[in-house]
Amino acid sequence: MKKLLTKLYILAFMALVVYFGVIIWNLTFAHIIHEYHERHAANMEHSEESLVQKEKVAKSFEQVILNSETRTKQYLGYRVLEQQYIEGHFHHIGFDVGPDRHSYCSSCHGDMPHDSVTKDLRAFLNMHAFFIGCQTCHSRPEGEMATGVYKWYARETGEIIPSPVNDAPPGTYKAKIIPFVMEKGSIVRIDSQAKRDFVEQYRLNEKELTEGQKSKSKNIIHNIVSKKPVICEECHSKEKPLLPLADLGYSERRVDSITSTEVVGMIKNYTKFYMPKMLNPGVSHPVDPAVDPVEPVLPGQLTPSVPEVESLPPAVGTEG
Amino acid sequence: MLSNFLRGPHWSFRALLVAFCLMPGWVLAADMGNCLLCHKYPGLSRIDEGGNMKLMFVNEDIFNTSVHSKVKCEGCHADITKIPHEPAKPVDCLAVCHIIEPTSEQKFSHKSVKTFMDESVHSKVDKEGNLKKFNEDMPTCKDCHDNPLFRPLAFVKKVRPGIADDAMGRCRVCHEKEDFIFRFYNHITTRLHKSRSPLNVAQACGKCHDDKELVKRHGLTVMAGSSYQETFHGKAANLLDEAIPDCLDCHVVKGKSVHQMYGNDDPRSSTHPDNRGAICNSIDCHPGASVQFANYQVHPMFDMDKSPVVYWFTTFFYVLTGGTLLPLMFILFFDLLRRLFPNASFTRRR
Repeated sequence: MKKLLTKLYILAFMALVVYFGVIIWNLTFAHIIHEYHERHAANMEHSEESLVQKEKVAKSFEQVILNSETRTKQYLGYRVLEQQYIEGHFHHIGFDVGPDRHSYCSSCHGDMPHDSVTKDLRAFLNMHAFFIGCQTCHSRPEGEMATGVYKWYARETGEIIPSPVNDAPPGTYKAKIIPFVMEKGSIVRIDSQAKRDFVEQYRLNEKELTEGQKSKSKNIIHNIVSKKPVICEECHSKEKPLLPLADLGYSERRVDSITSTEVVGMIKNYTKFYMPKMLNPGVSHPVDPAVDPVEPVLPGQLTPSVPEVESLPPAVGTEG
Repeated sequence: MLSNFLRGPHWSFRALLVAFCLMPGWVLAADMGNCLLCHKYPGLSRIDEGGNMKLMFVNEDIFNTSVHSKVKCEGCHADITKIPHEPAKPVDCLAVCHIIEPTSEQKFSHKSVKTFMDESVHSKVDKEGNLKKFNEDMPTCKDCHDNPLFRPLAFVKKVRPGIADDAMGRCRVCHEKEDFIFRFYNHITTRLHKSRSPLNVAQACGKCHDDKELVKRHGLTVMAGSSYQETFHGKAANLLDEAIPDCLDCHVVKGKSVHQMYGNDDPRSSTHPDNRGAICNSIDCHPGASVQFANYQVHPMFDMDKSPVVYWFTTFFYVLTGGTLLPLMFILFFDLLRRLFPNASFTRRR
């Protein structure tokens, strides 16, 4: 035993020596080699002409995506403000929500999946996607499947957690709402481990799959997606909102706010101006405000008499 | 009386008006239009046609500690006149906003910055008013500035930075409005020292001045940001020293705006060969320093062509350090290997 421990001790020491060796190499000779290669490359690449012309080089995946997310630290003296750097963004972010590592939808569609719907609506949908799981709006469990149960899951771990709402600033929760369905007599979350495993296997084997196999896989993955996603008014309504807001931990004040005339009124205005497809599925041209005038709302005047909107047949573009 | 006011048509609008009137001052300040109804959500975002992330979130708490905290949303986003609104146009920082400048009692604007910038080395146009080559590289407001945040100092007890409660207490003797006291204290104490830490200033300048392609396009001789980091000043800045000189301390004439920065060959520039002596030997830095002192290589680069002395000196120390420590690591490694396998041998035993 003592011999084994000694051997392990020596092995650990050796690893430490290698580690220090790499550090010393990087701090010394690696610099010289790097500078030599850079100088050599610069001499090869840049003729006098190239210096006066702005080069248009196709950017690599690494440049555009992997290296695109940088962070900044602002030293204010009394605090350090660290945040993601977004080029051209003037206002400060101030905190990180963190990626959704659990959603199998996000693994393909990303954290900001709504980019092909109406231009003026996509930011709103992405805003909701920050704290509402995709399946909450894009699937409609019906019949025996429907339970009306919704819970919060942690974005980082995927675990079901108590409501994070409490007094947290709206939308800053590190959690999302997910529906539960009835399966084989028990209530289970809709994003079951089996579904997650299936998507993971699909992504691992995607390159080797034939076109037919890909289509079949996608059909299976998306078979819970409803053709008619949940629309704004189904939650932002005093009358039986789809989500059990109180059960999800929203205080009475917040429920009032979410279902207030202020919010609902604005949605109606948005519906009239910017979501004509919702009113007329299949009609590609927006409703002409001149023909169908709706009073725009001035800032600070968000609850004027909004004309009643007829019953809304839902149909916004579907995405995972 | 209030209940009568709230009755009748448009009662909800009246209720909203009353609610606004009852709000604390700083809440009233910026969000009169209730823009935060939507913009308080951090997920309000999209990817634009160019593949860039657009984030429309405004962190209210941080905004209220910024120099613009008193400016209403529509003061900058002037094109937004109704809710719901169309995609907002880029903000014109030179627009006249709704704040009254107290000394002139005129509406406030940043227009003078443009006058300074047009004459500076960062101008898009040359002296004749023609567009410079690669003028698109020249910085616009947001290339250097995000929303500037207050950096208040505590003078009464210098135990920690930030607001001194004692000082605020003195303000309250005469002044009543809490938001005025908060903002005034922050404004004054922020302006009494650097509005950004030297490290943040170097990073802001480095966004362009460390861009290899940009540096080459404009015929600049050094990577100013990274070479600053190699100096004693840069090292101290990295350790968050606030008293250490940053880019602006040397490149802006004392008493002038940072926007009045000129090229090294411009006689108005602080870094013009005739003026350099005055940079280092100011009473705050190195009093009595000679002109030669100020003409040392301020932006050393590990580059054989541009800084041969620095290059060979640094190389010598790299070789000395690496040449000493790496063999030591080799010896240690093989010594440990022998201890691990005390009887191992390459030669066959007889």
